[in-house]
Amino acid sequence: MSIAVAKDSWEAQRRRAFLLGLAPSVIVLVAITLIPALALVITSFTPLSLTDPVGTFRFDDLLGNYRELMADPRFLGSVATQLKLSTASVLFQVLVGLGLALLLNGSSRILAAVRSVFLIPMIQPPIVVALIWKILYSPDVSPMHRALEAVGLPVRSLLANPDTALWAVAVADTWQWFPFTMLMVLAALNSMPADPIEAASLDGANRWQLFRYIILPYIRPILVVCALFRLIDSFKAFPLIYVLTNGGPGTVTEVTNYYSFVQAFNFSYWGYASAIATLMLAGVFALSWLVGRLDWTRHGRH
Amino acid sequence: MISRRSLLRSTAAIGAASLLPRAGWAEAIRQRFDGVTLNVSTFSAAFPSLLKQWLPEFEALTGATVNYDTPSFPVYNQRTDLELSTGGAAYDVVNVTFIYSSRWINSGWLTPLDDFIADRNRTPADWDVTDFLPGAIAPETGADGRLYGIPWTAEALLTGSSRFDLVEAAGLEFPDTTDDLVRVLRAVNGKDRVAGFVADNHYGWTFVPYLQAFGGNVFRAPPDDLFLTLDTPEAIAAAEYYSNLLREFGPDGAVTYTPDQVTQSLKLGRVNFTDAGQLYLAQLGDAKTSKTVNTLKFGLVPKGPAGRFPGTAVHGLGIPAASKNKEAAWAFIQWALSKQTTAKAVAAGYGSPARRSDIESATFRQKQVINGSDLAQLALDSVDLAAKSGHMKYRTVSVYPQVDQQLNKAIELITTGQLSAKEAMQQAQVASLAELKRAGVKI
Repeated sequence: MSIAVAKDSWEAQRRRAFLLGLAPSVIVLVAITLIPALALVITSFTPLSLTDPVGTFRFDDLLGNYRELMADPRFLGSVATQLKLSTASVLFQVLVGLGLALLLNGSSRILAAVRSVFLIPMIQPPIVVALIWKILYSPDVSPMHRALEAVGLPVRSLLANPDTALWAVAVADTWQWFPFTMLMVLAALNSMPADPIEAASLDGANRWQLFRYIILPYIRPILVVCALFRLIDSFKAFPLIYVLTNGGPGTVTEVTNYYSFVQAFNFSYWGYASAIATLMLAGVFALSWLVGRLDWTRHGRH
Repeated sequence: MISRRSLLRSTAAIGAASLLPRAGWAEAIRQRFDGVTLNVSTFSAAFPSLLKQWLPEFEALTGATVNYDTPSFPVYNQRTDLELSTGGAAYDVVNVTFIYSSRWINSGWLTPLDDFIADRNRTPADWDVTDFLPGAIAPETGADGRLYGIPWTAEALLTGSSRFDLVEAAGLEFPDTTDDLVRVLRAVNGKDRVAGFVADNHYGWTFVPYLQAFGGNVFRAPPDDLFLTLDTPEAIAAAEYYSNLLREFGPDGAVTYTPDQVTQSLKLGRVNFTDAGQLYLAQLGDAKTSKTVNTLKFGLVPKGPAGRFPGTAVHGLGIPAASKNKEAAWAFIQWALSKQTTAKAVAAGYGSPARRSDIESATFRQKQVINGSDLAQLALDSVDLAAKSGHMKYRTVSVYPQVDQQLNKAIELITTGQLSAKEAMQQAQVASLAELKRAGVKI
């Protein structure tokens, strides 16, 4: 009995010590993440406008902003644009990242050097990436446009054309973020045991069959995680839109967080902008939940 | 013991003090603010940069210390809008940004300056507030008729041609009307690989002179009657006309051009005509960076069926209502916008003063004549025209930023062929109405 009490006491002490150790991190987390998020949600229930902050910080119609959003064609359009941009850029990033990882998977010094070069876009500040592509997409100064014109394939401004503007943004986003997938896939390939590939080769499998039946099943969880991480991150695509298109021409590249920015910082409707941000937050939470539900151990069974 | 640092500071102060102005207003503020720290914020531009260089003069004159902050234009506006709206006392002097002036003034976020100006102990007569252009004073005045900002710039929207030699070669003159402009552009577009026309894609600024020239307007009778008039036949005709200038005569990607891109394209002679602020147009006269100095020509914005309506933009210095150093803040404004300081700025090359004495000075006139075009006179004519008709009142309406963006979108939609002029302007009308309702504006 006394041994059990002592054990409980020791476990209780241990738990308390853990909690005490965690407390500073939890306090910081609450202060810098949860409290602002709570403030955002509370603000979304008000029609707060900075032109009349006292008069508009009221709670007489809690769902007013959300009702307005459901009837706001510009908001609904921005969600559709966001989904198009996110799907296209994440798909490109995963395909390009995967392709390059397969090509660059090896131990030679040249491959190592090339891998390092391909990481450069990812370590650039997003605003620098946006400026690089602004130059590339501006016909009067763009080396890309001049080169195409020189070989007899002149291309009109991609950003001013409503049919190509969103694709142009997706390409720039892909350029910056394909190295993330490449890096993750390379890490997975490095940790892959050689035996299954050797055995399949001995059985006469060709390169495609090796990829389809051995490599792809092994790296599939990594690809799914990459896609989900990039999908969550793609909701934050702001500098590219801000620098390249301002959401235009018209509203063809106006994604949801850019629309939220316009409402908050151009029009001072902080309540309305907070409602948009809250809906985005809910979407990101849903995706994060999905990431958490992934079977992380699956590749261990192959 | 005197440290090296304090010795250097004293020497600098003595040096600055020896250059201090001796005017009556300077005597009124001399050594009255010893130990006061002033927080001044405005956006980064030519005049604020000059003031920054001359701050030791103000500090030596008054004894105050100045913290001086000049972020970029959008950052400044967002930061100050937030600070003023929350009743913050972080700033003692702020720039009263033109497009926010109605919101900031009529919300009671700024201090009326009339009492400071009328009190001869604080502001001797030689400071002369009547010297500022009436067209520049008007946007700094509240609905209550009181003055809330002293203007440091009065910029006009003008028309510029970087390759006027092509126009002359076609036997034509500088376009005076909207019809003339099209005639000229048809004659010169594409000659020497030079596109005819481009404008800053902030169409809520560059398009409105055309909207009004066609007899349209943004609101029915601003600032009292804010009924939107974006879908009138006149407004639709103006939007069709302007979008056609960009579509038919613009360079590739015309709707993506920012002000700096417009200036650069005219400097390099890639585009011929634009409508732009005089500060941007004056840069075309810089022989070091411009290839078109010898072929430039400037004029007023074209006249339409309803007349000529040049745009103007005014910025001034004001004092936040929550400032704890209002006396010292007024002393700063007096110094910064005294005849002596603004004349010194003009001598240093400043291009858009708001004092008539500066604009009419020989120093300014000499600098503003570029390849035979008198930018100063054109700007003065524009500001006077804007002041007389009051057509710029639309721009200081507190909800104009919302409508401004709808106009940007509308012109882009028409130019890129996504919507017809009628559809785009009707859409802008409906969307702007929704924005105004959200802002609580009663129409």
